[in-house]
Amino acid sequence: MIHARVKIVLDAPTRSFNPGDLLAGQFVLEGIAPEDLRSVELSVLWHTEGKGEEDMSVHFFERLDPQNGQEFNPLLPHLFSTTLPNSPLSYAGFIVKICWCVRVRVFLARGKELSVEVPFRLGKVPQPEQAAS
Amino acid sequence: MARLFRFYEKKRGDRRTGSQAFGNFGEALFFGIFFALGCIAFVYMFAVLVWPEWRANRQFAPTTCVVVAKHLGVKAATANEPAMYRPEFHIRYQVEGEPYDVDEVYDVTQIYLPDQESATAILAQFEVGQEYPCWYDPINPKRAVLARGYSGWLYLTLLIPLSFLIIGGGRLVYALLDWNASAERRSLMTQRAAQIDLFDYDKQDRNFPSVPADANLTNSPGTTLAYRLPIAATTGWTLFGASAAAVLWNGIVIWFAIMAIRSFALGTPDWTLTGLVIPFAAAGVWLIVYLIRQLLKTTGVGPTRLEISAHPLSPGSPYELFLSQAGRLAMNSLEVWLVCEEKATYRQGTDTRTETRRVFGERCFVREGFQIHQGLPFESRCQVRVPEGAMHSFHANHNEVCWKLIVRGAVVGWPDYQREFQIVVNPAVNGQTHA
Repeated sequence: MIHARVKIVLDAPTRSFNPGDLLAGQFVLEGIAPEDLRSVELSVLWHTEGKGEEDMSVHFFERLDPQNGQEFNPLLPHLFSTTLPNSPLSYAGFIVKICWCVRVRVFLARGKELSVEVPFRLGKVPQPEQAAS
Repeated sequence: MARLFRFYEKKRGDRRTGSQAFGNFGEALFFGIFFALGCIAFVYMFAVLVWPEWRANRQFAPTTCVVVAKHLGVKAATANEPAMYRPEFHIRYQVEGEPYDVDEVYDVTQIYLPDQESATAILAQFEVGQEYPCWYDPINPKRAVLARGYSGWLYLTLLIPLSFLIIGGGRLVYALLDWNASAERRSLMTQRAAQIDLFDYDKQDRNFPSVPADANLTNSPGTTLAYRLPIAATTGWTLFGASAAAVLWNGIVIWFAIMAIRSFALGTPDWTLTGLVIPFAAAGVWLIVYLIRQLLKTTGVGPTRLEISAHPLSPGSPYELFLSQAGRLAMNSLEVWLVCEEKATYRQGTDTRTETRRVFGERCFVREGFQIHQGLPFESRCQVRVPEGAMHSFHANHNEVCWKLIVRGAVVGWPDYQREFQIVVNPAVNGQTHA
């Protein structure tokens, strides 16, 4: 097996969305032989960063399980799309940050795992000091 | 082995560097044992208590017997248990013409009791040589009882294995579902479980996920404006905590102070104890002063009422506020502030800490140097506006962005007071407001 890689491409190159917008894109698995692939999970989610423990919520989830008879060709790009929710909006506060991303997790043979994510922005909330002014 | 599982691991809260598989296995094993113990204990108690009593009451056939002998059955005391007693009878009866002679009969459970007097009283109810009703097992006529009924409180003990069964079984199922599941899949399962709420379907939560619901903030209509905002119930708890601390601390200090004073009265002064008591007594006095200040703040200042024209709020939109402050007060100043705070909860070792950072604060109203007369509350209106583009209210398990209105009062000759009113700010969607 050559070097395994996951490439996620969003249709909107600015990676900036408003609530209710359609988030669409595709991901491609490179360097992974079909027999080495166990399953693939695609998630559109937000998670927090900062001082507190991490909170996470999944907005869109798709599990592709070729071993259980699900049709999935790892050699072809896989398209996905979802309508983004009204909240929570992306936020970069002082001790609380809310980050949205598209994450692809690939489960390979012998328990190996590969995870790649592409961040994007939901809404246009400025940083707190800007809001205060 | 150490390559397979990291025995020594770093941790910060839920983030760990150890083996997830090893952790899952340990959790499943622990709760599996918990569940198995519950099963064994439940089956044992069912077989010993529930099933025999049910059969004796429902299936045993009635007949009459003659009491041949009676005696007090004694289970000798051990190192851990005192002696136990039960009434035992030797009875004779016939089933379909065939005689049966059975000893050590009373009830079906044959449980020994710690109360000797109760067992002796039961023995006294039966005379040797007299006939009494009894019940025998049709499957095994050698088995008979002189008393039927259910053990009542003994059934409460079934709650112990049942709790093992439910907790162990539930956590075992969770651990098995969790096995090798990714963080995203686990999060999704938790979200779906949280959405199974049969009695309180929160529609707002679906429109604005992670924005707290405002149902508790809009269930009280105002007299002047649409809603009367509820006051954050922190003053009551502060007062309770201060009272409990003052009573407990000073109770202990008084005890030691009495001992110190007695030592002086007896002519053998204990200087070490006296030296130790003085700083503790000073802390006790400080606690009492603090309690009095809290009492003055809570009871001395009249109720504060804050009403708002609409709720939840949207960034950029103006809202009207109605402020009412009752009491008999000479005010230095009275202010209303719109405030936004970030709250982050994290674990440090075994402690859970919450850090709060104020990210926005704007004074919406101020009045200085005025009197409030008894029975004539101070009333005023003002406007509040959440800045356009500001972050909306956000609530997750460990992180929060919360908006509130704070009323601050500075009273002549009294400690300053502050009253908080929680509000919810919705996100503006595509430039539109959602009030």
